[in-house]
Amino acid sequence: MRSALLLAIKDVRVILSDKGNIFWVFGFPVVFALFFGAIFSGFGREPSGMRVAVVDEDGSEFSSLYVSRLEAHESLKTERLERKDAMDRVRKGNVAAAVIIKPGFGGGFGAVFGGSDPKLEIASDPARQMEGGYLQGILAKAQFEVLSERFSDRDWMRGQIGSWRNEVEAAGGLGDTQASLFLNFFDSLDTLLRDANDENFQPGFDGDILNFAKTDVQRQREGPATPFQITFPQAMIWAVLGCTATFGISIVKERTNGTFQRLRVGPLGRAHILGGKGLACAATCAFVICIQWIAARIIFKMPIDNSLLLVLAGACTILCFAGFMMFVSTLGRTEQSVGGAGWAMLMIMAMIGGGMMPLFVMPPWLRSVSHISPVKWGIYAIEGAIWRHFTFAEIAGPCAILLAIGTVFFSLGVILLRRQDN
Amino acid sequence: MIEAVNLTKRYGDIVALDDVTFGVEKGETFGLLGPNGAGKTTAIGLLCGLLTPDGGTVSLAGKTDPTVTEVRLSLGVVPQTLAIYEELSAEQNLRFFGGIYGLSGSELKERVTRCLEIAGLGERRKERVSKYSGGMKRRLNMVCGLLHEPTILLLDEPTVGVDPQSRNLIFDTIEDMKSQGRTIIYTTHYMEEAQRLCDRVAILDHGKILDMDTVGNLIAKHGGPSHVEAEFEDGTCDSDRVKACVDGEHIQLDKSRIRFETSRPMESLAELNRSGLRLSTLKVETANLEDVFLNLTGRRLRD
Repeated sequence: MRSALLLAIKDVRVILSDKGNIFWVFGFPVVFALFFGAIFSGFGREPSGMRVAVVDEDGSEFSSLYVSRLEAHESLKTERLERKDAMDRVRKGNVAAAVIIKPGFGGGFGAVFGGSDPKLEIASDPARQMEGGYLQGILAKAQFEVLSERFSDRDWMRGQIGSWRNEVEAAGGLGDTQASLFLNFFDSLDTLLRDANDENFQPGFDGDILNFAKTDVQRQREGPATPFQITFPQAMIWAVLGCTATFGISIVKERTNGTFQRLRVGPLGRAHILGGKGLACAATCAFVICIQWIAARIIFKMPIDNSLLLVLAGACTILCFAGFMMFVSTLGRTEQSVGGAGWAMLMIMAMIGGGMMPLFVMPPWLRSVSHISPVKWGIYAIEGAIWRHFTFAEIAGPCAILLAIGTVFFSLGVILLRRQDN
Repeated sequence: MIEAVNLTKRYGDIVALDDVTFGVEKGETFGLLGPNGAGKTTAIGLLCGLLTPDGGTVSLAGKTDPTVTEVRLSLGVVPQTLAIYEELSAEQNLRFFGGIYGLSGSELKERVTRCLEIAGLGERRKERVSKYSGGMKRRLNMVCGLLHEPTILLLDEPTVGVDPQSRNLIFDTIEDMKSQGRTIIYTTHYMEEAQRLCDRVAILDHGKILDMDTVGNLIAKHGGPSHVEAEFEDGTCDSDRVKACVDGEHIQLDKSRIRFETSRPMESLAELNRSGLRLSTLKVETANLEDVFLNLTGRRLRD
């Protein structure tokens, strides 16, 4: 064991002496996780909210108040524009819709609620109906809120009553009794508004007229809680792949340099030497995975469902690829040939096994093909421990497959290595 | 101490070693002399168990399996290739290889220091090997095989491509090992090295041992006569008198100079001296292993 440990320490020292190795083993997987995790989590996106252009052609005090209401709305991101610019931006898809406040909008209740000539126009892409409907709701709510403020303004209300009185008197279609009824009602209302003081006068409804009670209900999640739960298992696999390639190449380098022969004429068996290599590979993989784990938990607050199962999944993945490393080292007789062939094999495994794109976005046929890749089983086992809520029985399957693959490749590697040496 | 009997090794159709038999006594330095491709490295590989013979047997210290731990611990191999880690320092290399042989603590520290001194690398012990010169690497390569103080040393062309200073340091180290009674097998294609270091030499070519004996005996058997060239002081000499003194062939004589071939140069010179002829210059070219190889194969060692 001491010899294997010495070999492992020496290998780690040798590997770490090369900056390129450090990047591929330590740096690249972390960069991978951060890059894709950040992309999937929406890092750098603009603040959420529907982008809306607002065109105020009315220019009244009422329309100004209305626009201010829209600008203050948390679900909208408004821009004040001229009609032409606003329509252009809708056409180009830069904004979800344009709200055009036509002249006469501030003319009173009639302008807001009725008439054959609407004073508020919404211009939007028909393909974005859902957003259009959502916007109509927000506009209606804003109208009520502005009106609610207006109802509390007694002078404004009395002015409105005066104008309605004039309209009734001027209207020709009403009988004397009906006209008198309306005029008396308006007079009484005017008297009430005149005599009431500010303290006891309350509007009939306040700003909450169209408000809703809201209850937050967290949707039950079947999938990962954060994109980092997808990208970190991939990053862990990349770390393992990096170690596998690096140590595979290091074996052939030792053989071409003669250090392997020097070790073999020492008091160590071939199994000791290869075991030391495997131990170094496994230890480096485990170290990188631990760093990633800590970074994921502390920096990215990534939840881990079951840490013990993660250790098990990580260990099986490492053992699998340590065995595979032995096979990689026999793919050629020079560092160049082993490096080229090894990385080619590992890249194919990563491609079909979900190391590059998550398994769930793959087409069904590719997901079936992925069964042959140990990368798939590694990611599956690690994801099982992180977010798939695997039980021990469930994780045992992929772990057993990983160990079987590792054993097969290790044995094959040792046989080929022995044959090549002789 | 070391015995190889009818050793044969083939690589496909190529016979690298063909029915080779030799034995090396305890404390003896035995040379395998031959050109590149003669089978020297294959012989070393078979002796230390790196290769499996297609025929024949090997015995080291009475054990027929060179891969058993007991034999491995007594065996020091200095391979022809630089079997050291260039990414590590000389000290780290030595500490690692020492650890592999079970050395630790103060014993390991002491031996590492001693080996660094032998290799002349004491001052640069902490430097990465990749920064060393070729000679320094070669010296480190050698002491890595001596660190565990083996009783049997297999040195496969340890001086290939080194500067004269490093070569002398390596020779001194080997002579020191020899004086300590270690059994050494030394392969080389430099006849000067074999002549200087080896008690006995086997001439190897195309996987076969052509002959094997002490250097003197090999030269005597296959080296051919020595060449003597002398110049007389008075400018002239009596040719009949001179010829009577010389026991040799191909005698060339002019006014004041004589050149001849003889297998007994010292006797001829003594006779000349006794005859009263006074020599102003004398040059004796004795046969060497290069001549032995030439006479045995028709080729030079480095052809």
